[in-house]
Amino acid sequence: MQNPENKKMAGGSVVDEMRGAQEPATEAYRAYDEEQVRSGNKAVRQHRTTGVNWIGLYTMLRREVKRTLRVSIQTLAAPVISAALYIFIFGTVIGTKIDDFAGVPYISFVFPGVLMLSIINASFSSASSALFFMKFTRGIEEILITPFSYLEMLVGFVGSAVARAMIVAFLILIVGVLFGAVTLTNPLMFIFYVAAISAIFAMLGIIVALWAEGFEQLQMLNTFVITPLTYLGGIFYSITMLPALAAQITVLNPFFYFADGIRGAMIGYHEANQLVGLVITVGLVLVLGTLVTQIFKRGWKIRA
Amino acid sequence: MSDNTNVPMLEIRDLVKVYKGGKKKDDKTAVDGINLSIPRGAFFGLLGPNGAGKSTTIHCITGIAQPTTGQILIDGVDVVADYKLARTKVGLSPQEFNVDIFSTPVELMDYMGGYYGIPQEAKMKRINELIAQFDLEEHRNVKFQKLSGGLKRRAMLGRALVHTPDLLILDEPTAGVDVEQRRALWAYLKKLNEDGKTIILTSHYLEEIQYLCRDIAIINHGKIVASGTKEEFMKDGKSIEEAYLAVISESDNK
Repeated sequence: MQNPENKKMAGGSVVDEMRGAQEPATEAYRAYDEEQVRSGNKAVRQHRTTGVNWIGLYTMLRREVKRTLRVSIQTLAAPVISAALYIFIFGTVIGTKIDDFAGVPYISFVFPGVLMLSIINASFSSASSALFFMKFTRGIEEILITPFSYLEMLVGFVGSAVARAMIVAFLILIVGVLFGAVTLTNPLMFIFYVAAISAIFAMLGIIVALWAEGFEQLQMLNTFVITPLTYLGGIFYSITMLPALAAQITVLNPFFYFADGIRGAMIGYHEANQLVGLVITVGLVLVLGTLVTQIFKRGWKIRA
Repeated sequence: MSDNTNVPMLEIRDLVKVYKGGKKKDDKTAVDGINLSIPRGAFFGLLGPNGAGKSTTIHCITGIAQPTTGQILIDGVDVVADYKLARTKVGLSPQEFNVDIFSTPVELMDYMGGYYGIPQEAKMKRINELIAQFDLEEHRNVKFQKLSGGLKRRAMLGRALVHTPDLLILDEPTAGVDVEQRRALWAYLKKLNEDGKTIILTSHYLEEIQYLCRDIAIINHGKIVASGTKEEFMKDGKSIEEAYLAVISESDNK
């Protein structure tokens, strides 16, 4: 009995067809290479082996966006619904009982922090879960055997996570603006802080994904570091409400500057020193970027 | 491709790979001084028991693992010093289905072609040709997880060939495939080789090696313990299986 899948492959008939198809396939590609040479590239395959692998980076980005959209209820709908609930609770239920908070409505003060929580969650979970599963299923070998440099691998993984965080950030921003919770006073600063913060947490996600041997370890940094520092970073309260010692400790928390940067970009209100915030944010991007590039270069837990 | 046709498609010089054991485990030498030279156009069988060093050797060739010492040249290009160029010259169809199971065969080839930096138009043309060659037209947009074993193997082969590599490495390409499909895949592999593709094949189906390969090397305990043409292994009327078992038994007893 013949397997329906074999209707062409069995019995050698497909080989005859393949015999016809193989040559054009190879020739088409080689013809493309030759065209590259004619059009100025000095060596065949130069477009794939020298300079930046832009097409490869775009492919990584495209794949992550597609993955995000494939599970859009989890990745996009959930943070948007959370943001709407925050507006209802802190704007309508609690906010109406609180006088202006540091000169701005309470929901306007809180909402940028809520957005920050969402982009941290999106970038960290995007990078950590994607890489962890790639390691677990050995899908990472797809990347390892292709012509990516270590820096390109970093940019690809981080850029993909930043793209997902950007989509989430803009959806939440739209919700906030539509409900009158926030405005956008400085779009460039907003894009900078969303990109930088999501890059930082994407890189932390990469490190955790490589280190983790199981799901529990994958969640450890989130549970013991990210969540406490986030909630202690002045998202739901003003630093002016804290005792002196607590206020001094808070200014050592990078999350305080992240929330302040986004808040400043959205409603124009700052509690932190903006220069210090900028230095901390850019500094963390550079330090973690260097660290992750070195990790890829050494192949720690990724390339045996 | 190198202009010099005398340059071997693959040359391995004194390859050693040691996996660091860490604090609680000893270091493990998976490959212990392998030398191999595979000419272009070869159909080469790499045999050995589980844990002998076959997969580690393949991982070092393809970039999944870093050699501890030694040198690997693909078409004269060093896989460490000039890894970007070297990786465009080799395609790998691994034993395990290391893919996103929610992707379709077209998407798998599309992503892989993109990683290799192939522009959209040339890539889609190539993918359509591979889809036709592997008779995947009806299944081109079916998720990988829904495909049968044979179709999965064909999709993996298509993915390995999307960038038209000069050297194709097949690690157990017919594992889990029924006899009929296996024969069909053999026919295709034979055709690929006849068209000039250099192929390295590892398989536990020794009749597969006997049918397809012209040259064979046997690895045991990280070393090449025998190598030669198929005819040399099969002299005295032995099958490849008999020859293989004799070589392994002899090397185990040393």
